[in-house]
Amino acid sequence: MRFNEKELISLSRQPSERAAELGMRGPKKGDVVKRRLVKLVVNFLFYFRTDEEEPQGALLLEQCRVEREDSQAFSITFLDEAERKYLFECDSQEQCQEWIDSIIKASYEFMRKNLIFYRTEIHRLTGKDPLEQYGIEDETRFQVTSGLQLMPKDI
Amino acid sequence: MKIHEKILTHYLSCTSPVDKEGYLYKKKERTSSYQRRWFVLKANLLFYQERPADRHLLGVIVLEGCAVQHCESEGGLFAFSMVFRGSGLKTYRLAAEDQLGQESWVKALLTASHCYLSLLVRDLGKQYEEAKRQAGPAESHQRTTVTGPGSKCLTQSMASLNSCSSSFLMPGPVRREGGSHSASNVLQAPPMPSKVINKRSPKHWPKRNAHVTPINGPAPPYGEWPQVDFDPLEDFTKLHDYYGEGVKQLRADWLRRRQEEEEHLEEDLIDLSEH
Repeated sequence: MRFNEKELISLSRQPSERAAELGMRGPKKGDVVKRRLVKLVVNFLFYFRTDEEEPQGALLLEQCRVEREDSQAFSITFLDEAERKYLFECDSQEQCQEWIDSIIKASYEFMRKNLIFYRTEIHRLTGKDPLEQYGIEDETRFQVTSGLQLMPKDI
Repeated sequence: MKIHEKILTHYLSCTSPVDKEGYLYKKKERTSSYQRRWFVLKANLLFYQERPADRHLLGVIVLEGCAVQHCESEGGLFAFSMVFRGSGLKTYRLAAEDQLGQESWVKALLTASHCYLSLLVRDLGKQYEEAKRQAGPAESHQRTTVTGPGSKCLTQSMASLNSCSSSFLMPGPVRREGGSHSASNVLQAPPMPSKVINKRSPKHWPKRNAHVTPINGPAPPYGEWPQVDFDPLEDFTKLHDYYGEGVKQLRADWLRRRQEEEEHLEEDLIDLSEH
C-alpha cells in the first residue's frame, strides 16, 4: 500500500504533544525492550532509533486500547490482538500516566466525540449551533449521529 | 519508515464513521493522465482503491500539513489539489466529475486535519464554558451569540483571510461582498433566524441517551485537557495557513515560523549524546 512517506516524515519533525526516550517492546514473541525516542504527533506515535533523524515507524492511534501495565509501563493494543500489543516502559508512574492520557486524547475519534458533545451542549444552552459561524454545520464529520460508539479504553 | 498497514486498514474498515467517499480522478505523478479511483476519507486519512468493493487498498494519504485549493478545470473535470508544504513534498492533483463534487470534496478535505479539529474543539470548549457561565441557574435562550476570546480570534482571522484571498474556498463565517470567484452558496452559512433553529432543534439534536457521550462534564472522564502552552495567535495563524495558500505573504510567514519551530524543536529533543 502506498503512502505519503516524505510528508509523514516531515510530520514527525513537527512540534509534538509529547516526546521522550522510552523502552519499547514490539508485539512479536522474542521481541525485547529497546530504547526508542517516542514522539506523539497528531494521532500518530512515531518512534525513532536513538540518533536517527528518520523515524523507524509510525503507529496510527485509532481503534486501539491503551492500558497500564505495572506501575511504570503502559501498552497499546491494536486490532484487539495480543500479537499487536506494544509495550512502553517509562521512568516514573507520573510519566506513564501522562503518556496514557496524551495518547487517548490524541485520537481523532476522541476529539470528534468531544466536538459533538460541545456542539450539542452549546446548542442546548444557547439555541445556536456553534458550527454555523464557520459554515461547517453540514459536514458529515461533525454530525450528531447515533452510529458513533465509544471505544473501550482502559486506564 | 514502517507505517503498520494493518492498523490503517483496520481503522478504515471499522465501525467509526466514514466522512466522505466517492469516485475521484487522481493524476498520476509526472504524467498528465487521470485515473479513476474510489476515495474514502476518514479522520485525517484519505484512502484510495480502484473500486468500492475492492479489498486491496492502493494507498493512503495522511492529510496533515497540506493546503487544499481549486485548480483550473481540465478536460471537463473539476480539479483541485492538495499541496504539502515543505521542500520536496508532494502535490496531489485530483478532480471531480462535477462542480458540486469538487466543492464538497474541497470542503471536506479542508476540514479534515487533526490540527483543524484540535483547534475547533479548543474553540468550542471555550464557547461551552462561556455558555455555561452565562446560562447560570436558569437556562435561557435569550442570548443569541456566544463568543469567547478564542472564537473571536478565529472569526476575525478567518474574516481577514477572506478579504485577502480570492482564489480559495473556505468555510468562513463572513459573507463575501461581490464574491468574484465561484464561492458557492453551499459553503456559506445561511442566515439563521431563531425560528429555524427551533424548528431544527427537536429532530436535529438527539436525546441525550441516544449517545454514550457523557453530558455531565465537558469530556469523557479522562481528566482535563492537557495544558499545552501555545500562543493563540500563532496557532490560529497556522490554521489560516491551511486556507491562505497562494497568498505569498502568508506562506512566507509560515515558512519563517516553521524554521523557528524547528530550531525550537531541536532544543527540546532529548539529548541522546550519552547513549
